[in-house]
Amino acid sequence: MRHLIPEFEKLRARFPAGFESSMVLPCVRRIQEDRGYVADEDISGLAAYLGVPQIQIEEVLSFYTMFRRRPIGRWHLQFCHNVSCSMNGAERILEHVQKKLGIRPGETTPDGRFTLSLVECLGSCGTAPMMMVNEGYHENLTSEAVDELLEGLK
Amino acid sequence: MPGRQIIMSFPVTATSHTLAEYRSRGGYGALEKALRSMKPAEVVKEVTASGLQGRGGAAFPVGRKWQVMVYDDGQPHYLIANADEGEPGTFKDRWILENNPHVLLESMLITSYALNVRNCFVYIRGEFDLPYRRLAGAVEEAYAAGFFGERILGTDFSCDIVVYRGAGAYVAGEASGLISSLEGKKSYPRNRPPRLTVRGLYQRPTVVNNVESLSNIAWIVAHGAAAYKEIGTPKSPGTRLYSVSGHVNRPGVYEAELGYPWMKFLEEDCGGIVGGRAIKCVVPGGVSSKVLTGAEIKDLALSHEALWDVGSTLGSGGMIVIAEGTCMVTLSQILMRFYHHESCGQCTPCRHGTGWLHRIMDRIVAGQGRPEDIERLYYIAKFNDGTTICGLGDAAGYAISGILDKFRDEFEYYIEHKRSRYDGNLECLRSS
Amino acid sequence: MPEIFINGQPVQAREDQTVLQVALENGFFVPYFCWHPQLSIAGNCRMCLVDVEGRGIDIACNMPVSAGMKVLTESDDVKAHRKAILQFITLNHPVDCGICDKAGECTLQDYHYIYNGDRSLSVDEKVHSTKFYNLSNRILLDNERCILCLRCTRFTHEVSKSMALGVERRGDVSNIRPVEDRPLGEDPYSDNIIDICPVGALLSRQFLHKSRIWYLKPTPSVCPGCERGCTVQIWHRKPEWFVKSLDARQNTSIARITPLENPAVNGPWICNKGRDLARIFERARADEPMMKGRPVPLAEALDAARRLIGAARHPVALVSSWGSNEELEAFKRHLGEVFHAHVKRDWLPEEGERLEDDLLIRPDKNPNRARALELFGDDEPGYHDGTDLVLVWGEGCDFASIPAQAKVIFLNSYLAPENGHADVFLPISIQTERTGHYTNFQGVVSAFEPCFPKAAAVSDAEALFRSLAAPARGHP
Repeated sequence: MRHLIPEFEKLRARFPAGFESSMVLPCVRRIQEDRGYVADEDISGLAAYLGVPQIQIEEVLSFYTMFRRRPIGRWHLQFCHNVSCSMNGAERILEHVQKKLGIRPGETTPDGRFTLSLVECLGSCGTAPMMMVNEGYHENLTSEAVDELLEGLK
Repeated sequence: MPGRQIIMSFPVTATSHTLAEYRSRGGYGALEKALRSMKPAEVVKEVTASGLQGRGGAAFPVGRKWQVMVYDDGQPHYLIANADEGEPGTFKDRWILENNPHVLLESMLITSYALNVRNCFVYIRGEFDLPYRRLAGAVEEAYAAGFFGERILGTDFSCDIVVYRGAGAYVAGEASGLISSLEGKKSYPRNRPPRLTVRGLYQRPTVVNNVESLSNIAWIVAHGAAAYKEIGTPKSPGTRLYSVSGHVNRPGVYEAELGYPWMKFLEEDCGGIVGGRAIKCVVPGGVSSKVLTGAEIKDLALSHEALWDVGSTLGSGGMIVIAEGTCMVTLSQILMRFYHHESCGQCTPCRHGTGWLHRIMDRIVAGQGRPEDIERLYYIAKFNDGTTICGLGDAAGYAISGILDKFRDEFEYYIEHKRSRYDGNLECLRSS
Repeated sequence: MPEIFINGQPVQAREDQTVLQVALENGFFVPYFCWHPQLSIAGNCRMCLVDVEGRGIDIACNMPVSAGMKVLTESDDVKAHRKAILQFITLNHPVDCGICDKAGECTLQDYHYIYNGDRSLSVDEKVHSTKFYNLSNRILLDNERCILCLRCTRFTHEVSKSMALGVERRGDVSNIRPVEDRPLGEDPYSDNIIDICPVGALLSRQFLHKSRIWYLKPTPSVCPGCERGCTVQIWHRKPEWFVKSLDARQNTSIARITPLENPAVNGPWICNKGRDLARIFERARADEPMMKGRPVPLAEALDAARRLIGAARHPVALVSSWGSNEELEAFKRHLGEVFHAHVKRDWLPEEGERLEDDLLIRPDKNPNRARALELFGDDEPGYHDGTDLVLVWGEGCDFASIPAQAKVIFLNSYLAPENGHADVFLPISIQTERTGHYTNFQGVVSAFEPCFPKAAAVSDAEALFRSLAAPARGHP
């Protein structure tokens, strides 16, 4: 992660003095964005750079659902299965996706293209059912819309 | 929507979120008024007098929270806008961030001025994409226009803001959990005392307010507390945003004066129930609020006191409308799964209780429920009430006990017959 | 000084105290797991819930006192809550008591017996987790037994500062885990987490399955590992539980060592070296007096030694910095005029051993150099051409530097090649075989008591010095 340090230095300047510990979350996010996941050497490197205990970073990585320490498919399909989405057909759409891609939640397609995850409420209940694909929200899903969406994700 | 609007007071277009259009609506006029003609203590007084209640879920009076901070205690003060919005059924802060981010920023500047805050933060849930980009864009615009930084509007007031992205944890929406997260750690909530307004972020006095709560400040300062009190009801002044979802024809975010009739809201503004079905029940304010049956809400107004009176709460304003034919047992399973997934694990009753609730619901839904399970569910809820570090444990208990209070017979049916009375249906399309 | 009421009784509190502290100080026991007087307040176990008039149920460990407050620690509501908290804690706790070393000193066992006693209300399978996790080569972790009180984690962050432990994941699948480059193995205070763990989640590997603790008794002693002189408890078999048909050495060995709480010296902690005293005390022992390697009766050896002392012109003594106050004073009294005495450093720091830190560890790895220097001054050991007798007491002497012409009287506890080279060799007892005191580097005097009997031919050095001062047989 050393090549990201100039960026991190700019970020550090935005925080008040003494807030190095706060930089853990944004730095981890950026490292993951860059590499696709957070590697072991990123952890020790970041701990040294920020001057925080390494255990703090390890805890953060395993506590928050968005962080991962292993690579996943190119397109991360994060499917909401909470209340409002379930009340608007999420289960049917999920079954459709599973059948189409041949994977279950937690799995990745053999060609490394899609990883499917089930997630809790994403704050999109008015446009349910929906899912996140990598960073973006895809709302008001129907089977047709899903097919079209997946088609376009290479 | 009839009635006055404070936050959603303009038609949304492709550019209505920009600084230019915000200013054309009068934006940043309140900041100017505060900085030029009001002392910080006067701002606090005005907000307190307005009776503004928190919009994140607890409805704690905003001014009362602010008053704990001693303006000149020689310590850095922090202000944090809680944009974690993880309560299922709630998506109204998102509307503000996407469509009116500057009202939040202007309000935060006024608040920072009032509370002697030099550094403020917006903690935004990590999954939000467009809301984050709009907010970050607005921050850039505001800096460019000199609304953030040193010597704002040529006064002695300086203020900087950082937008801090979360990483996927509902418990980070709890104010002290949020602070733990903003310190770069796992979002473990903290015991109180000390209150966060005494020792919060890095042990400094900190005010954490919901995005919507803060977004009212600009209007209150511009028009005055008296004008604010004219809107809504005496015990629930002002307007509030509702996120409506579930089985309504027009789900979405609405702003209504407090005191607005509930049925009118659902039938007219929200387009009524899908398929013309009857309302089975409504979750009024996020899944941690107690569910109310269609019969119970028939003559109710949407106000804090009306809901407190019937043992529920407006909470986060996350309204989930549930039509007849929905299986409340299957729905409860989803809720218990949610709390179990989100429990931080720090304290005994919630760590084990949420898992236990989830396992019991799984077993009932799988047709292996036992008669004593209902009492177990109540037991777990009872001993999570008031015994935990934060409200997550209590909330899990309220969610299940609220549903059991109104729909116990459905659970008894499921346990006895080993299947749902409604085929496990959650949608409003299939017939039961 | 605010006055509060606990169970109707008025008690005086200090303004900075919590209700839990005041209650405990005044004899009102409130159960707790996660609170510890030397660690920050965690407030996560929820076991210390009390009832406050006008406020309801809340935890006592984080509750500041306020004048006039009325606290109930045994109301029906409190009791019901305690039962429920125990229901939650034992929900996923494995019923391992039959194979768990903590049995007999387990807080959860005790509280369950006192405050609950009911079987689990759950019919669902318990959440399973890692058992037999290698936290370090000294400590075994069982995550199923762990109640996540976080005492161990707080200890490594706040006391030993190794930052070695944390929590992975969340909810009921949270697990205590060490940071991945494993510095817990390098934390010389790691084993304190075994003591403070309220359950059997953290166990000593050297003690694992050795004995049920109710067969053992603790004897107060002092760790000789450095000049801090931490007080310890040496655990060994109770006489009424001596084994008869198993290996009899179990009856005379050290089962384990734990701290003996001492506000003046070490508080509730010791370092790992203090846990490993068996490594020092249970080395092969010298148990026969010898002359030039030939075993002789004690009387003969003593007599030969007296003659050597009588004949010497320039006798030098190397005094042991492991001698007790009593032994050192006896040497001074009986032989102080005879010998030119220097204080020897019996032990030097070993390779890789921490020299010094802000917590307990001190650079001088001997327990009683302070008293020895007081009595004999601080001249470094040295010889000159006329040195004709060297009395070496204890370990750590460089025998090669003794002038070739000098005779050697050697007092030692352990088997060593030098024992056989000495003109007179006298085996002596170790601290676990007698009473005595050490003076630490700050002048604090601490006592040790005997745990084991000494062998017949082994003498106490204190008695030997008196004996050696007597004139030799046949000499005036």
